[in-house]
Parts: sequence; C-alpha cells; structure tokens
Amino acid sequence: MTEDNGKKWFKKGRTVLKVQYCPVCEKYIFFPRELCPYCLEVKPEWKETVGRGKIYSYTAVRRSSLPEFEDRVPYTYAMVELHEGIRIPTNIVDCPVNKVRIGMPVELAWIEESKDIIPVFRPATP
Amino acid sequence: MNISGTAAITGMAELKPEIDAGGRSSLGLLSEVAGRAIKDAGLKKSDIDGLLLTPPAEDSCFMWPAQVAEYLKMSPSYLNMVELGGASACAAVTRAALAVTAGLCRHCLCLSGGIWDSQVFNSREGKMAVMSRAEINYELPYGPMGFNSGYALIANRHMYEYGTTPEQMAKIAVDQRQNALANPDALFNKQAISIDDVLNSPLIVDPIHLLEIVRPCSGAAAVIISRSEEAIDMPNVPVYLLGMGEACTHNSIIYSDNITLSPVKFSAARAFAMAGLKPADMDLLSLYDCYPITVIITLEDAGFCKKGEGGGFVQSHDLTYRGDLPLNTHGGQLSFGQPSYAGGMSHVSEAVRQLRGEAETRQIENNRLAFVNGNGGVMSTQSSLILGRERNDRR
Ligand SMILES: [Zn+2]
Repeated sequence: MTEDNGKKWFKKGRTVLKVQYCPVCEKYIFFPRELCPYCLEVKPEWKETVGRGKIYSYTAVRRSSLPEFEDRVPYTYAMVELHEGIRIPTNIVDCPVNKVRIGMPVELAWIEESKDIIPVFRPATP
Repeated sequence: MNISGTAAITGMAELKPEIDAGGRSSLGLLSEVAGRAIKDAGLKKSDIDGLLLTPPAEDSCFMWPAQVAEYLKMSPSYLNMVELGGASACAAVTRAALAVTAGLCRHCLCLSGGIWDSQVFNSREGKMAVMSRAEINYELPYGPMGFNSGYALIANRHMYEYGTTPEQMAKIAVDQRQNALANPDALFNKQAISIDDVLNSPLIVDPIHLLEIVRPCSGAAAVIISRSEEAIDMPNVPVYLLGMGEACTHNSIIYSDNITLSPVKFSAARAFAMAGLKPADMDLLSLYDCYPITVIITLEDAGFCKKGEGGGFVQSHDLTYRGDLPLNTHGGQLSFGQPSYAGGMSHVSEAVRQLRGEAETRQIENNRLAFVNGNGGVMSTQSSLILGRERNDRR
C-alpha cells in the first residue's frame, strides 16, 4: 500500500484530501486497504476529493476520558459524507456544538493532533 | 434441514452483578456459575462434554476454552470461544444447539462473564484493546468515546430521520427500572426513576444521558444446552430453541450503509422463519439494551413495529412485567448491569426464568414464547433466538 503504508490516510500539511479508488469497480474506498474490497483483486489508486461534503450524523462529546481531548470538551465527533459518496469519521471545527446540524454543508480544514496534521471539517463558506 | 426444536436449555445460573468484585477472578466467577448451572440441570460435572465460552473481559484470552476447562478440571469433546461482542452469548447458545443436535456432545455448557476493572476500562490501552486497526488509525485521532459516541451518532440520525424524541428513549430506561425494582439481583433496584430524572441526568454524548448508558460490572452467567429428547427427562421445564438467526453488516458504525438500520432485520427474519412464528406471537421480549436507541431500532427491524415508529411504539406500550409488552423484565442491562459478555447472557437467562415460570414477583402471565436478541459492537453483530415451552409451536 502507499500513503504511509495505510497507517494514516493523510500526510502532514496536506491541502488536498485523497482517498482510495478502484478504477475497475469505479468505487471509492475508505478506510484504506491493500486490495479493493469489492473485487478483492485490484490495488486501489489514490484519488483527490473535492474536500466538501455534508454532515451525515454527529454527536457533541461532553465528557472525554482521552487525556488529549479532556480540555477540548464539548467537541463535535461526526460522520461526514463526502461529495464522492463515501463517509468518514472527523471533527467539526469553527462551529459551536449546538449549531451543528445533520445535512449541514462542510468543507475541509486541517488541525494539528498528536504531532500530525489531520483533516477535519468546518461549515462550508457559501 | 430445520433444527427448530431439536435442542433445549436445560440448566441455567447467573451471579448477582457486582461493581466491586472483591478480589475475585474471572475464572473464579466462571467456576461458581458453572457449578450452579450443572446443579440446576440435575447433572454431574462429568455429564458436561461441550464447553463454549465468551471472551473474558480482562484476562488473556489465548486458548481461553482450554484455560477454563483446565481450571474447572473438565475434558470436553467439543469446545470453542465465540467472539461476537454483545451477541456472543446468544451466538454461543446457537452453536451449542448445533453441536448437541449433530451429536458432537450431549450437554453443552455455555459460560460467560468475568471481572470488570474500571482502571483498565478507562485507560487508553483498555480502549484500544476493543478497537480494530482501522478504528485506531482513522477514528481515535478524532476523540470518539467508544460505544457511547457510536450509539450517539445512531440516535441523532434516528431522531433526524424519524422524529424520535429524547422522552421516548428515556421511557425505556424508566420502564426497565420498574422491572429491576422487582429483581433482587439487579445492580440498580432501589429507586424508581422518571423520564425527567433521565433527561436531567448529565448529557455525556448528545443525545445520550448518563441514565441511558449501561454500567459495566463483574458477573457471570451460564446455560446448559441438551438435545430435546434428553431435556424431557431432566428436572427443569425445557426451554426449546425454536429459532436462531445471525447477521453482521459492519464492525465500526462508520462503515454501515445505513446507521439507523440494524442487521437484526436479517437475524430476526431468519430466526422467525426457522421457528415458523412471527413477532406478534411473542409473549416476552428480551432485547440487548446497551442504550435505549438499541431497543427502539431492534423493535423496528425485528418487525415488532414499522420502521421509524419505534419511539412512538415504546411510548404507547407498558414495557414492565405488569404491562402489555413485557420487555427486559430483569431490568435490562441498563438497570441489571452489564457484567461484561454475561450482559448479553442476562437476556437469555431472564427468558429462561420467565418461560419456566420461575421469575417470582415479576413473573409474566403468558409465558409460552420469548424473542431474545444479542447485539454486538455498535449495532454490528446480531444473534436472535426464539425460545418456547413447546417443542413444536409453529402457528
Ligand atoms: Zn475493485
């Protein structure tokens, strides 16, 4: 597999978000795999996404037992459905937890987390 | 071949869940509950030749069936460990029924439970121990709160799609607490709670409140499965396995195509088809209840009400043992406690008690048929059982 051997699907300081794609099955794939899970044959390629999507579901985490998140509560843990049709786990930033809604259009942002820069989403600019 | 009614639950025992295990070990709890179940079935330990385990909560599960057999000084001819999360207990019962029907063993002991340690449970290592590589790599960086946040995603989406309300979800915790008040073994059996109490308890992960989250604890439960021909001559009222079904559509909820649809849709349909019965035939529902939303969606997808109407359904029925739709009469895991993998077994043991007529002050009047469901992970693995007092109860 490429892209950090699948350990992380993003690299430090990325500005575009790439996900796997099987050109034979014509399907996007998340999480990354060594072989396409639909045909179990093709090695997936990495394809840029447009970095936009909408919130499929979310929750406001008000108590966290993870030390690095304790001082961040409340924060939004969400599933975002990308324009490309696949869903990914993420955080919603630049938006108070009580303003987050299912269906809300969001766009890609990047934050630093445990020495990595990871993709998150914020409310889309119109 | 239809194996409906070929096997029965002939022995059962359950330990009272405890927050503090008082220095006991998982193996110690399992040995105690095994001894009690064997006695309940009127058997000797040497009669048990099948042994199925669910994983221990914190011991090393390497060669766990052999570890347990050794501790109990047993030498079974059929042994295995079933790991389907919260569905493991029901799934062990299914596998035991297959084994005794096929003649691989005569009396199969299904053992579940262990010690719960809050320090291990709340540690990063404890959390990672129950996560897949994909969850560690792609979910953990965003601070999910394990099962709590997974079910919160489901509940929020269900509210959005179907208009389910916080009051409807809270009602399940309230009714089940009423049931627990009549269960001396329940962890929370002292005080009734109201819908306001639930909604005023702290929000942990929206929309899930503290009183809507199961309490992990220590405990154990066991059942013995025998061939129906043998069950007739054993001391207890046989509880026949009329229907069994399993399903799995994902591991992490992130990868479910539709997070408000439980694979119980498929496992329950398989179980009902095997039994030749339908949801309306059931007298008791014993449904895995890690959170109220699990119960609402299980009711919908197993066919007890229409899709999306689970919230209104629980609101319009009395779910207590005195009610028109007895559900989780032991208190459910929300009030009984979740003694690790034995939490899933608590739904089986309560159904056995009710069908035998041994549920004492919470005994339901019509007790011919029960639907039992085990749910693992975040609405991932499902194992559905239909239990009955008559070997052939096709309607
Ligand atoms: Zn493919």
